[in-house]
Amino acid sequence: MFSRRTFLKQAGATGTIGLATLRTRPHDLFARAAKAGAADSDGRILVLVQLAGGNDGLNTVVPYENDIYHRQRPSLAFDKGGVLRLNGELGLHPGMTGFKELFDEGALGIVQGVGYPNPNRSHFRSMDIWHTAKPDAKDKRDGWLGRAFDGMARQLSGQVPAMALGTDRLPLSLVSTKFAVPTVQSLKDYQLQLGKGSKVNRDKQRRRMRKLANVQARGSSDLGFLRRTALTALDTSTKIAEVITDYKPAKPYPENGLGQRLKSVAQLITADLGPRVYFVSLGGFDTHAKQKGAHASLVNELSSGLRAFYSDLKAHDLSKRVLTVTFSEFGRRVKENGSLGTDHGVAGPMFLVGDTLKAGIHGKHPSLSDLDQGDLKHHTDFRRIYATLLENWLGWPSKATLGGNFRTLDLV
Amino acid sequence: MEVSKPTGILAPNDPGAWTRREATHLLWRAQFGASAPEIGRAHKEGLSRTLDRLLTPQQESGEFRTVEPLLRETAYDTDNIRDLQAWWLYRMYYSANPHLEKLALFWHNHFATSNGKVRSVPHMTAQNDLIRREALGSFRKLLHGMARDVAMLIWLDSNANRKRHANENFAREVMELFSLGEGNYTEDDIKEAARAFTGWHVREDEFWFNARQHDNGTKTLFGKSGNLDGGEIIDLCLGHKACPRFLAFKLLRTFVLDQPTEAQVTALAARIREHDFSMQPVMRELFSSRLFFGAEARHAIIKSPLELVLGACRALEVRPNLRVVNRITGQLGQAILEPPTVKGWEGGRLWINSASLLQRDNFAMALLEGKVGVLPKLEGNAAHYRGTLLAREVAGLDGIKDDPRRVVHLMMTLPEFQQT
Repeated sequence: MFSRRTFLKQAGATGTIGLATLRTRPHDLFARAAKAGAADSDGRILVLVQLAGGNDGLNTVVPYENDIYHRQRPSLAFDKGGVLRLNGELGLHPGMTGFKELFDEGALGIVQGVGYPNPNRSHFRSMDIWHTAKPDAKDKRDGWLGRAFDGMARQLSGQVPAMALGTDRLPLSLVSTKFAVPTVQSLKDYQLQLGKGSKVNRDKQRRRMRKLANVQARGSSDLGFLRRTALTALDTSTKIAEVITDYKPAKPYPENGLGQRLKSVAQLITADLGPRVYFVSLGGFDTHAKQKGAHASLVNELSSGLRAFYSDLKAHDLSKRVLTVTFSEFGRRVKENGSLGTDHGVAGPMFLVGDTLKAGIHGKHPSLSDLDQGDLKHHTDFRRIYATLLENWLGWPSKATLGGNFRTLDLV
Repeated sequence: MEVSKPTGILAPNDPGAWTRREATHLLWRAQFGASAPEIGRAHKEGLSRTLDRLLTPQQESGEFRTVEPLLRETAYDTDNIRDLQAWWLYRMYYSANPHLEKLALFWHNHFATSNGKVRSVPHMTAQNDLIRREALGSFRKLLHGMARDVAMLIWLDSNANRKRHANENFAREVMELFSLGEGNYTEDDIKEAARAFTGWHVREDEFWFNARQHDNGTKTLFGKSGNLDGGEIIDLCLGHKACPRFLAFKLLRTFVLDQPTEAQVTALAARIREHDFSMQPVMRELFSSRLFFGAEARHAIIKSPLELVLGACRALEVRPNLRVVNRITGQLGQAILEPPTVKGWEGGRLWINSASLLQRDNFAMALLEGKVGVLPKLEGNAAHYRGTLLAREVAGLDGIKDDPRRVVHLMMTLPEFQQT
């Protein structure tokens, strides 16, 4: 008869999946095309850092001299002595020493007051808007970068245009109709296991898998999509197995989620894996209650992680080629709520880190007296930043991708 | 009232067109995969008797009647969601009513509620019981039941919905995700509906109508005004023309094909309306239809992690370790009772990227190495497995002569294997 005890014992016997490292010849998928007369921007890389939940911009770039700020935030405000001062009006959250160093070194850009018209305060909807760059449409079949990849399909052909690290699923911004963009949890997990057999048999099986997937891996059907993805999976796993063996960061990374994900990105960039865009995310910014401690820990994770990432790339002589940009679905309300937190708001700042950018503060801090239903008004449409990243950094046209002409900003 | 017969694309398929392939197609869609004996039985009995079996309550086995309550009790005792997940996986894999479990998963995805916020095995179980009670019953009753379901009320912050401080979370999701879909209501509609649900609270682990916090003022929704309460709001949503269309789209996308057309949605919505949201006859008509057996519906769905993993176990007749199954399906993005957001799993191509595909391939290897459960000796006959695992021809496959395990591994790592 079954007893609960024996049943649990049987059910608890978990098998672990062994890691089999495969080493086969590097595949040309990742070999960057050595094109004659290639533009400067050819080797440039964009790293997007998503701050999920709605970052409180007002307590990130703090208008510490503003009376309204102190009145509206009696329990959350930082005063002059508390912030890391950037100028006579603005200071960084005290936990962001890494960003302060980058600012002083001329490697940090801050764009203030970024948002979009008729802002939506739902996390899902607003995040979708940032990912699709279509505030008015509900079409979620592709993302803004995915469309950019599609527009560059001929030039990017055979490459992996982007990679997401550590996200549950592929971020919508990277969803393309012509490329299967991989999502990687950790580099070690990203390897095909082919069991105990001999190496000869494992290699033979892998070749057969590749051959059977490599039939009409084109077209828009699901099967074409599955075949393309299967080829990407096989080739990427082979390549990653090669690059993870002996990477040494030049500077230590913080032992937290974002730090470790950025370290993986640095490894892949150093290995010249090929993607033009990397995507990582840091969640938890939905600070409705007891915001102070949680927000301090998050902005510290962001600041220390990007500080280490920049230093590591610099030591590898790659900081000129890599631009890191943060975004969040919205900022938060000016007035704090009754639970020592803040509710969903609208406009917020974006940060840029790199060696080839116009460092410093761009744009005015949004007014704290001229509000829209208690929220800051944006003055810079996020699609202008996207246009700048596409046109001036990646060297790709932006009009078709963004569905209109958005003026670029003087950022890079 | 006399119910009409379905016509057009939903008219019954030619009863003569019933081969092993049709039986396989039906079983892969209506349940979590099928073994060769199950396919053989369905083929022999014919479509009508197979549907009788899938759509009407069947007696559970003696073993099921012993083990299922033990697993459920275990989850209550430990209050660990992993144990409740194992309980549901057991039902999906071993129940004599497998279609009921597949529909229960459909409704769980529709009313996606996560224990991540609810944090209670009893509440999650109670919601699961409600779903199972009405999965083949009435969507009307299910939607009304959900509005009073404790897990749902916790999930959507209903206690914060008070007179003069309306919280729109539940009212918004009732329209956006549970009945109408975006674009079929206005922000004002949500505000009015939220007022009608004020005071629908939880107290001492039970639904409680908090009369003091209920807004008794006049509300207006879809042209009807009065002192509307939550129940009337739900009836108004059910009466909205978008509601059967919304359900039709989701049913087609889950059970028939990934990109339903307007015409297909219109046709199924008419049948849902005709049967007044009664699911059993709707599913029977759908699974009998020309549309369901037509070429465009074959292999037209990308398998969810549960379809992939449980289906492969079934096809190879493995008795899986359900804890391992739970871990793998979670890694592949489908942790039951813990959906990622209130929107549930979107499915389709979003299941697939090169990392999840590698994990799917690695699951195939783990299964064949006996790490998911004891693997019976494989037959030497590759065509046998092509029938159960792929149900179609794949160029270049039949020529490969090798150890049956390696051939089966190759089948399970084919792009074609990801489709059903």
